[in-house]
Amino acid sequence: MTKSDKLKKTLVYIFLAIGAFFMIFPFIWMIITSFKTGFEANRVPPTFLPENPTFNNYLTALKVAPFGRYFLNSVIVTICCVALTMFNSILAAFSFSKLKFPGRDILFALLISMMMIPFEMLIITNYTTIVKMKLYDTLIALIIPFVSSIFYTYILRNFFMSVPDSLYYSAKVDGASDWQYLWEILVPIAKPSLVTIGLLNAIACWNSFLWSILVINSQQNRTLPFGLFAFTNETGIRYEVLMAGATIVVLPMIILFLFCRKNIVTGVSKGGLKG
Amino acid sequence: MKVRVEGLTKRYNNVTAVDNLTAEFESGKLIALLGPSGCGKTTMLNMLSGILPVSEGKIYFDDVDVTDLPPEKREVGLVFQNYALYPHMTVLENICFPLKIKKVKKKERIEKAIKYAKMVHIDDYLDRKPKELSGGQQQRVAIARALVKDPKLLLLDEPLSNLDAKLRIEMREEIRRIQKESKVTTFFVTHDQDEASAISDYVLLMKKGVKQQFDNPRVLYNEPHNLFVADFIGIPTINQLHGQVEEKGIKIDNCDYLIEGLFDTSNLVGKRVVLAFRAEALTNCEKGKLHCTVKESFLSGKDTLITAKVGDKEIRVFVDSNSEYKEESELRFDFKKSLVFLFDEESGERYV
Repeated sequence: MTKSDKLKKTLVYIFLAIGAFFMIFPFIWMIITSFKTGFEANRVPPTFLPENPTFNNYLTALKVAPFGRYFLNSVIVTICCVALTMFNSILAAFSFSKLKFPGRDILFALLISMMMIPFEMLIITNYTTIVKMKLYDTLIALIIPFVSSIFYTYILRNFFMSVPDSLYYSAKVDGASDWQYLWEILVPIAKPSLVTIGLLNAIACWNSFLWSILVINSQQNRTLPFGLFAFTNETGIRYEVLMAGATIVVLPMIILFLFCRKNIVTGVSKGGLKG
Repeated sequence: MKVRVEGLTKRYNNVTAVDNLTAEFESGKLIALLGPSGCGKTTMLNMLSGILPVSEGKIYFDDVDVTDLPPEKREVGLVFQNYALYPHMTVLENICFPLKIKKVKKKERIEKAIKYAKMVHIDDYLDRKPKELSGGQQQRVAIARALVKDPKLLLLDEPLSNLDAKLRIEMREEIRRIQKESKVTTFFVTHDQDEASAISDYVLLMKKGVKQQFDNPRVLYNEPHNLFVADFIGIPTINQLHGQVEEKGIKIDNCDYLIEGLFDTSNLVGKRVVLAFRAEALTNCEKGKLHCTVKESFLSGKDTLITAKVGDKEIRVFVDSNSEYKEESELRFDFKKSLVFLFDEESGERYV
């Protein structure tokens, strides 16, 4: 490596480090604050590391609001949403890419055009529908509107289309039905894309806030973001406790990402198919 | 298993890929579907496998009409040109896949897969992914996967086209060996006449979707039905001299003599013809019927091949290596009894 190469690399890394710092600092600050006492959290000038690290904020947060319950609700809603969205997107993507039926491409273009409609426009109709279905203030209300996704279908369809047809015919000749081909061949090949989509979907579900404050009323059905929001209203703003609550909300997604990270990276680096 | 096709036709919009093809293929033989690109040989193969629906005609496997049977019910093994191995599965899983679909017990299917892996000499690589194999190895896996379900019919679509020249010769012998060992009726598609002649029991030669000749390779070489077959089969390409039949013999264009007494041409007088002969069909002879001027001579293995001019055409002839052939020297040749043919110039049909 020449000197100028080294310099270039160093500069790039410095640049990246600055970017990473700006991204990660609020999270670090959140976690640090959650371990400070109330007095220290509000002190000017602020300390960086807590002088007397304490776990009390977490205990207070869990005592004041049923974060355990919120957590469970969030997990249930996220798992159901992600599982159903994946299932539906896979089936839709398969039929829009590999099956041949009249009007297929027009139908798909129509679906794609639906992506233009912003979610906010659908809120009122969705709300009335949920109320009419007598699902107001239930977890099902949080799941039902989000069990399919045109965007993910679109991404998957494009991936499926890149899989050579000879694999399909090969599976057919090997005696597989369409259904078996889909689950035995296509889905395993698409695993990196599926993990990526699943993760994006999980994060979106986990963080979904607006819809849940609309259709959820009782405390026992709140999800974490809503819970955290209600928490500030109910207890007043105590930063150290709020940060402890926020850490509880964010942590699972970070852990999930760390677990799936390897899959996403291999998915990208392995690229498509050969031969 | 015996295969019979009757009036098999495939049309894509206005193009007829396979045109009214009727043939019967014996059981347990290796059959080459041969022809230039776009002659419909792959289409024919795909119709046998059931991937492509036929436009007209019938396909019979052992006298059972399978024309409308979907591929998963035909019990055929198919090896694609790009092998189409499942990229996420190991070699073993790839070979096991057809058995897994058939719900064969795990232990049994692994046993069987290993048996076929051994047969194609791939058993050292069972845990590898297709990506980690060379082209030749991938092809062996594809063949093992096709054979493991005990197909009634094995179909190979240009199986050798992705391999380098040396491996191609090696693999074609492998295919022959595997076919003989498994005794399964096998079709393979190729555009290489040398490949087809080398290993197959029968060759079906096609041109623009039409069957030209279906025979064993030797007959195809010795007794071509038409000029296309004669031209397509054999290296070097058959010599072709255009001319006209006159009362006393054949007059080659731009030559001032007649070739007399070669064939009985009394009923062809006045016709435009092509006199075709293999490079080995001539003997050097002082009073020979054919006059030519030597252009160049090449040593090819034990033989010497010369190119020579007859009129304004060039011919290639194998000659005795012991004598020397100077450029521009005059030579005369006589025709041997066999490997000399007379075709109609326009239709390419064979007269003699």
